[in-house]
Amino acid sequence: MKPENPILAGLALVAGLLFLSPVLYSIWMSFQTVDAYYAGELGFTLDNYARAVGQYNFARYLLNSLIVSGLVTLLGITFATMAAYAFARYSFRGGNFLFAATVATLMIPSHISLIPNYLTLAKVGLLDSYAGLILPAISNGFAAFFLRQYIRGIPKALDEAAYMDGATSLQVLWRIIVPLSRPAIASMALYIFITEWNNYIWPLVAVGKQDLYTLQIGLARLYRINPGEGLIDWPLVMAASTITILPVLLGFLLVERHLVRGITMGAVK
Amino acid sequence: MLRKLTPYLFVAPLMVFIALFTYIPIFASLNLSFREWNFLSPDMPFVGFRNYEQLLASRDLWNSLWVTTLFAVLSVPLRLGLALVIAAYLVRETVHVRLLRGALFLPSVTSTVSIAVVFSWVFSTDYGMVNAILGTFGLGKVQWLQNPHLALWVLIFVNTWKQIGYDIVIYIAGLQAIPRELYDAAAVDGGKRLHVFRRITMPLVMPTTYFLLVISVIEAFQVFTIVNVMTHGGPAGATDMLVNLLYEIGFVLFDIGRGSALAVLLFILLVGLAILKSRIIGRKVHYEA
Repeated sequence: MKPENPILAGLALVAGLLFLSPVLYSIWMSFQTVDAYYAGELGFTLDNYARAVGQYNFARYLLNSLIVSGLVTLLGITFATMAAYAFARYSFRGGNFLFAATVATLMIPSHISLIPNYLTLAKVGLLDSYAGLILPAISNGFAAFFLRQYIRGIPKALDEAAYMDGATSLQVLWRIIVPLSRPAIASMALYIFITEWNNYIWPLVAVGKQDLYTLQIGLARLYRINPGEGLIDWPLVMAASTITILPVLLGFLLVERHLVRGITMGAVK
Repeated sequence: MLRKLTPYLFVAPLMVFIALFTYIPIFASLNLSFREWNFLSPDMPFVGFRNYEQLLASRDLWNSLWVTTLFAVLSVPLRLGLALVIAAYLVRETVHVRLLRGALFLPSVTSTVSIAVVFSWVFSTDYGMVNAILGTFGLGKVQWLQNPHLALWVLIFVNTWKQIGYDIVIYIAGLQAIPRELYDAAAVDGGKRLHVFRRITMPLVMPTTYFLLVISVIEAFQVFTIVNVMTHGGPAGATDMLVNLLYEIGFVLFDIGRGSALAVLLFILLVGLAILKSRIIGRKVHYEA
């Protein structure tokens, strides 16, 4: 790395803060009382968070988001890794066709499945359930494609040595492929989690019961029902918004490099 | 026997879910688009092309098509152009560049609903950040989201703000793949910065531009969340983009037939665009040797 030019570094810092200022300000606002906010005064309170979590049920929404995104990620990454392993290591009849069908899902706009998926889940009685939120989001063609490319880069001699020692294909996957693909699997898992965490249109149509709202739906509703009388209770809304952003924000700060690498690997290869 | 079956067992779970929730729905939409159904009535009679005729005769559809096209045509070049210029600067590896990259990338992984809510406040008339800043310069209040001529621009701004970090990160990866020697050779020849940018950077980063173009156009035609939260398609249909119209017809009016017909039309449009782009642009893409 080159030595820093302090003026440039200062400018970059200012530019970054300016760029993020709407979000930073919204976080600051979430600690203001509504009266102080509208009077243009300074105050500090945790009351907005207390109300968002208690009265407006955001603890439940947070739990729902964690459950839904967590299970989608777990199942999605498992299925994608299994398929990627087969596509990378086996040549089998129909394999190329199935791989092409997997990659083609990247080009298929998701809105086409909105109404049919709604009807399917209604028919089997899974609307308004965790299963209804989770099932349509599990298959991830991009992750399968990405992991297949990655696994192809792992020397096949390792598999063969294990087979010599009497390993089964499942053991090869679990003992050799998965540990060696860990960075790729981690970045794809993160990608699936973030995508699902921020998913909006599907939970919007699939869930009517308030107890099953995810954070995204809860926040959109809270903003719309406008709990302030006449004036929007912005500090409350911003507290809810901060609760919605925070988990992903913290995750991002922890693993930014993984994530960026994962995203760019997929695009450039 | 079991050995032959192994790969099928590994791909089966993924394939079952892809079939159930991605491929079968395409045919289901096609089927529903020829029927009349409101989700409650016991039967769904076949009505031929009537849903399509009604749609194509409605002003809502043409308005949505126009608004969505406008959104795509205005926002995609803005995003990609800005992103490339910023990426060309941020491609260096210093600590402050890293930090700035992180800041720019952050919104693209942040909740779209949160961003839409925050920017609803930023652009709100009486207490918003933008009007407050304008006020300090003595300028009057602007009704950003209530003015049909401005609301779409606000959405374009918010979408650009959210997505540009992703474009930048992808562009940086593309730029890093350009061989250094080309720039060194240009420097020896005394190439001016702008000239080098146009003659070396832009053509060689073309595969990345193509990739970003494809995904951002598809994305632009599917914008929904910011519309649903910030404007509901208003004022007066000024931001009523296609997926918002689909949501209104399918899930507010529960006109399953017409909603499905719209989904099919949008599907054909997007797949058609993808094919057209690969025909036209695909040939002009420069890949390094």
